[in-house]
Amino acid sequence: MKQANRAGVYFLTPALLIIAFVLLFPIIQTIVLSFGKNSTSIFIGYEYIGLANYRRLLATPRFITALNNTLFFTAVTVPLELCIGLLLAQALNRRFRGKGLVRMAVLFPWALPTALNALMWRWMFNSEFGLFNAMLIDSGLLTERVNWLGAIPLAMYSMMFVSVWKTSSFMALLLLAGLQTIPDDLYEAGSVDGSNRWTAFRHITLPLLRPAILVSVLLRTMDAMRTFELPFNLTDGGPLTSTETLSLYAYRTIFQYVNFNLGSSAIIIQFIIIMAISLAYIATLRRGQA
Amino acid sequence: MTNRTCLFRFTLVLLCLMLTMPALAQDDMAELTISIGARGFGDAAPVLIEACEAEVGGINVEWERISDVPNESRSIYVTNFTARNPKPDIIAVDVIWPGDFAARGWIAPIEDYFGEEALAEYIPGFLAAAQVDGSTYAIPLYIDGIHLFYRADLLEKYGFEAPTTWEDLIMQAETVVEGEANPDLSGFISMWAKIEGLFMNWLAFFQGAGGNFFDADGNLAINNEAGIKSLTTMVGMLESGVAPESILTFRPNDARVLFQQERAVFLMVQDFVLAPLTADDSPVADAVQFTRVPYFEGKDMTNTTVIGGFLLAVNKHSENVEAAANFIQCFTSYESQVQASLIQGKVPTRPAVYDDARIVEDAPGVAALGANFVYAFARPSANTGTAYPEISEIMQTEISAALLGEKTPEQALADAEAQIMMVMG
Repeated sequence: MKQANRAGVYFLTPALLIIAFVLLFPIIQTIVLSFGKNSTSIFIGYEYIGLANYRRLLATPRFITALNNTLFFTAVTVPLELCIGLLLAQALNRRFRGKGLVRMAVLFPWALPTALNALMWRWMFNSEFGLFNAMLIDSGLLTERVNWLGAIPLAMYSMMFVSVWKTSSFMALLLLAGLQTIPDDLYEAGSVDGSNRWTAFRHITLPLLRPAILVSVLLRTMDAMRTFELPFNLTDGGPLTSTETLSLYAYRTIFQYVNFNLGSSAIIIQFIIIMAISLAYIATLRRGQA
Repeated sequence: MTNRTCLFRFTLVLLCLMLTMPALAQDDMAELTISIGARGFGDAAPVLIEACEAEVGGINVEWERISDVPNESRSIYVTNFTARNPKPDIIAVDVIWPGDFAARGWIAPIEDYFGEEALAEYIPGFLAAAQVDGSTYAIPLYIDGIHLFYRADLLEKYGFEAPTTWEDLIMQAETVVEGEANPDLSGFISMWAKIEGLFMNWLAFFQGAGGNFFDADGNLAINNEAGIKSLTTMVGMLESGVAPESILTFRPNDARVLFQQERAVFLMVQDFVLAPLTADDSPVADAVQFTRVPYFEGKDMTNTTVIGGFLLAVNKHSENVEAAANFIQCFTSYESQVQASLIQGKVPTRPAVYDDARIVEDAPGVAALGANFVYAFARPSANTGTAYPEISEIMQTEISAALLGEKTPEQALADAEAQIMMVMG
């Protein structure tokens, strides 16, 4: 028995070393960099300057804007995605002809890469030759072209719209998996007791779906807090910095202004916020199980 | 069991082969990688690479196609160079990068492989962007300047000559748009999204109003009469509808597409649009003409052609700096530049090439662009070194703020001045 355990450790060691190298090393490096002074190289001439980068960030209006944009984006899109995802999941959970096909169609937006999505929508939102303006003007709903991606705060709403369109189906898929674990007898028993659709949903579906909802909301929140491809490809963070997210700000600080240290601090702040939100979710999940 | 042994032996042999393969390929040829944008040099790249492989000898050159969007290719370089990757050996650098890259120790000084005489054959103002403390870090490959393209047919219809001043341009644009009564026709379009091109655009207006980013003593001089006049004019063009609101989301190619669809009278972008606009299938092929970027009334002696463009530099950690420098010498030679102009419409960086009989005959557009470079000026990247990207970003943000109506032009310039002072220390 003991010998088998030891062999197990030996087998695991290479994998653990690789994980340590590709996961732990970059994290530690980022933390170390975030406390260092900006220099022309990230490998030589390290100078510890404590929290100076963090202080500078908190005094930078652009960083605060990026932080607010990210929180606003997350706070609006995740609940919307949950509601639409729930509706979709309910609809997909029924038996009807061609269910497989419909399920596939719903998954389509999620299967497309975000960058591709963003480019596609950028063309549709284009104010001069985009689909939306053409349709709305032809149908007489609009008389003037709307600058979907070039006006504040419209660009942010457009971006949220694309995000909801894309990820609601992901939400639906996770929730559908949860719905399928609820046995039919419960609904039968409920209907014997005189429940209607709404009360069945309220008292059977929701409580039993709770873990699935929490997990999917957790995943989406973490994702939304890290949003990068969408603003990068759809709006480039503009107009001004009205759609610049934390990830985009950190990327630009590092790769355009070549300030690895300041950018690392921004990433660490983002990391701490995501961590805090995740811990809160997990605590809620645990409480529900107890 | 035997099967397994067999498989094991086979794998072993395969591994040995894979390990020895690179060694076999590695005879005395120096392997070089050159990274240039696919659109930037297009069809001319493979032709010139092959020609120069033969001329220099002893080298194998691989073309790494990178993005033509400067910020994207810059990100790739930043990743490679901070990691001290010896590849790519040769990189195409935007005219605003050499000072910055040299200061960070990413690119090698290469003047010794050329000699003073050979360097003097390139346009001096362009080469200067790559010269830091007496060393030359990059060699000019092609110019991409900003010009004013216009619909000659429409101007003629209303009895106008090509405008030379902004006052003329605005009046002409208004007259033509009103006369055509086509709701899809815009007067003036350009790249006013928050990109480097926006800063270049404002600089052209600013210089045309008699401004200069740094005054004779090297002090920042943007918050003044010329600065306010230029920014106010741009805001005014938006407000009066001479420029459509969507101009604020346009990058160069977006503007080009609109102009090509016969939906604009004036287009102010870089000269790479000349090839697509004059292609056989272009609806405006016969109607498009160009002139230098306008100036404000009474400022006709000002330089308003903002130059952009690319140079070739050598990675400091390349294993073959000398071979790379020799390759660059061939790639930017007189003959190579003639070929690049003929094949891809690239604008030469050697003044002599503009007068070449083949260019005058077969690429008259390129030859004509040369006249506008008499009024050329470079962006303030040489004086600002590693601070340039941030200075440009500040300017882009503040100009955008004024264009979006978030700030008055006066306020935007004052804010820009204060922030730049802080960055420059």
